Amino acid sequence: MKRVFDSQLIGPFAAMVIVALVVAATTDRFLNPGNLSNLSLQVSIVALIAIGSTIVIIAAGIDLSAGSMVALLTMILAQFLKMAGIPLLFAVPLILVVGGLLGLVLGMITAYGRIPSFITTLAALIAFRGLALTFNNGSPIFSLDPALEPLFYGKVAGIPMPFFYLVFFYALAAFTMNFTKLGREIYAVGGNPAAAVLTGINVRKVQTLTFVIAGFMTAVGAVLMSARLNSGSPNYGQTLELQAIAAAVVGGASLAGGRGNILATLMGAMTIVIVQNGLNLNAAPSSVQNIVLGAIILLAVGIDMWRAEISSILGRLFGRSDQSVKTASPAKPALSKDA
Amino acid sequence: MSQGTPPLWEFVDICKAYPGVLANDKVCIKLLDGSIHGLLGENGCGKSTLIKTLSGVQQPDSGQILYKGKAVQISDPQDARDKGIATVFQEFSIVPTLSVGENIFLGNMPKTRFGVIDWKKVNESAAAVLAEMDVDIHPEAMTGTLSVGEQQLVEIAKAVAMKARMIILDEPTAALGEDEIERLHQLLRKMRSQGTAILYVSHRLDEVERIVDEVTILRSGRVVRASGETEINVSQIVNAMVGEDISEHYPKEHNATSEVVLRASHLSTKNGVHDASFDLHKGEVLGLGGVLGSGRTEIARALFGVDALTGGTVTLNGAPLKVRHEIDAIEAGLALVPENRKFDGLFFNFRASGNITAASLGGLSKLGILDLKAEDEGTLRLIEELEISPQAEQKTVNFLSGGNQQKIVIARWLFSDAKVLIFDEPTQGIDIGAKIAVYKLINLLTRAGKSIILISSDHDELLAMSDRIAVVQHGSISRTVPASDLTHDDLVRASAAQLTHAATEERQ
Repeated sequence: MKRVFDSQLIGPFAAMVIVALVVAATTDRFLNPGNLSNLSLQVSIVALIAIGSTIVIIAAGIDLSAGSMVALLTMILAQFLKMAGIPLLFAVPLILVVGGLLGLVLGMITAYGRIPSFITTLAALIAFRGLALTFNNGSPIFSLDPALEPLFYGKVAGIPMPFFYLVFFYALAAFTMNFTKLGREIYAVGGNPAAAVLTGINVRKVQTLTFVIAGFMTAVGAVLMSARLNSGSPNYGQTLELQAIAAAVVGGASLAGGRGNILATLMGAMTIVIVQNGLNLNAAPSSVQNIVLGAIILLAVGIDMWRAEISSILGRLFGRSDQSVKTASPAKPALSKDA
Repeated sequence: MSQGTPPLWEFVDICKAYPGVLANDKVCIKLLDGSIHGLLGENGCGKSTLIKTLSGVQQPDSGQILYKGKAVQISDPQDARDKGIATVFQEFSIVPTLSVGENIFLGNMPKTRFGVIDWKKVNESAAAVLAEMDVDIHPEAMTGTLSVGEQQLVEIAKAVAMKARMIILDEPTAALGEDEIERLHQLLRKMRSQGTAILYVSHRLDEVERIVDEVTILRSGRVVRASGETEINVSQIVNAMVGEDISEHYPKEHNATSEVVLRASHLSTKNGVHDASFDLHKGEVLGLGGVLGSGRTEIARALFGVDALTGGTVTLNGAPLKVRHEIDAIEAGLALVPENRKFDGLFFNFRASGNITAASLGGLSKLGILDLKAEDEGTLRLIEELEISPQAEQKTVNFLSGGNQQKIVIARWLFSDAKVLIFDEPTQGIDIGAKIAVYKLINLLTRAGKSIILISSDHDELLAMSDRIAVVQHGSISRTVPASDLTHDDLVRASAAQLTHAATEERQ
């Protein structure tokens, strides 16, 4: 488990706790159980999509398509349920497959067509929104299926359903990235694609797979979006892709590739949502929320970039050497055991 | 050394400390007009610190800098330039998308009286500088399209254009072929005759021997041999650098057998390999000799599946080997340790373990799940066996020295149990101690029955470490002979023959 909970988590975790403490200090409604349960609902869609965004970023790509893809997929799901009459039990898995396939197309254009992922997914961001508008004359489709809403609002043992999705998908993603061949290859491709080729890693296939994962996770987000509002709309999911990327970045993922931690992304997403929640509870207007979100992204990346300077300043202030900060990466206890 | 005139530049008792390390400890050095001064020492001996002080990048903690006998300060890089010091760092500072002329006058463009750049003057002055250097490069050429050697010359042209009296060259030949090194040396000799002081830093001792007038050797931040205290010959220099008597600079073991492991017959590619044939024996080191551009690296690329074969066959242990992608070669037991470990070899986001197992992930996993225990054990075993720094498993590999990094790249192929290893310039840019460690590794591999194809621009190394040498000319093997039958001169002559030939071809 050491590999999953490594030093990369310390910063994002600290940020999340600090933000939570600040918000809790400004309003006593924050720690109210109703609000906390509401938080897990709020964070769920962004956090699930951010799994895919993070994995793409670790492989040195970027996925800008998620927001529009959510809109497109909610419309397709609505078509399945209302027009084609496909039962929910089949429609939902089908949507997940469609999401994966859309990711496959984007991934292949990027990896085999040698078009930078920024361009591929920017084009998709624009085109998917347009595609979503071609359904139902561009109007939202409401009241899809009474059984859809419980997927989002349902509770098991008093705990909201989205909480379980988060646990399941984050555990699966963390396992994949830390304990499987694919995960290691994704880090390798992002770290040094030229070296990856020479070590026999199929770089294009790995890059493509990251987009398939991203498409699939976007589809999971889209199903929850539909369930939350029991509808499909070409206007859903605006700027979701940017929030998901923000979560990854606040969690310490490097846009240069090779560096990032799945669980840190969850904390990044939590941090962002807690701040939004805090501003909401304090009745701040949405303009302020956006400004604060921008500032958080800059601050998070800045703290990461200026780590050495900050630790030396802290060292001077508190009269201790900066060693303790630098050696925070875990030494392997296995050394003595195995020898 | 004339007694009367003071040296152009002199350092007296320069000290510079970084947290935890005294990088320069009372360093004294005299740099004279019209002299090429070699600054030598292993990695971490304080060479870079000294260069940084001289080029104004940093200030010494104590000590004096004298310019023509008078104490001065070099407050920043611009100040250093104003005082006539030009530094050519290992990483070039040219802009590849600008023309040669623009690069030469970058930051100091001649302007017309209307304040716009005087392009005519830029190109004329650049042409004048290049002509003065006897260099045949067009001032309007896009710098990025030039060869690495030519880019290096452009870098030096910048120094000439600013009329530098003192030029610092940090590893100037690391990326150059034999002919380009010769061209650089000619230029340096010419500058020396014009009175320029040159500080020359290099790990290639064979060329140091050829060009340098005097040497200063550093070890652990101190001067261990001041100018004039050492004869300029490789073995004396090595002993002073390492601080112990190294009897065996090249600890070659002969492990070659007569069993043929890999047979390449009439290989051709679109990328410059023409009808190349050779055999590689079990336990053998086969050196590929020849200049940069002769097709050495291209033959390696063809074997490894980087470039597709347009003709010829390869057999491995008697069975035909079809290599269409790198993965096929790796699965067959081939390994390529690439020339540029920074760009093509290492994963800087991984520690030692991730780097060492990168080529073996398939064998290390069951149903896609990695056996991390086996990975840890294998890594620790190799770290111990290859004497890699124990730090390697605590930090990502960018924190390690060049020698440790190179060992880790090689360890990757020990872990994957490759049978045939292609080493492309395995000791480039690493210090003597690390070089010897790589040679010992080569012995370890051949002793275990593995076969090695060695590509090296360092002729001495190639001659000493190979069992046989295949001389490569024009993408083909002109002859294969036991290494003991060849001399340094033979290789240089073979290279020269290729160059003359190429020049004639070009003219036609």
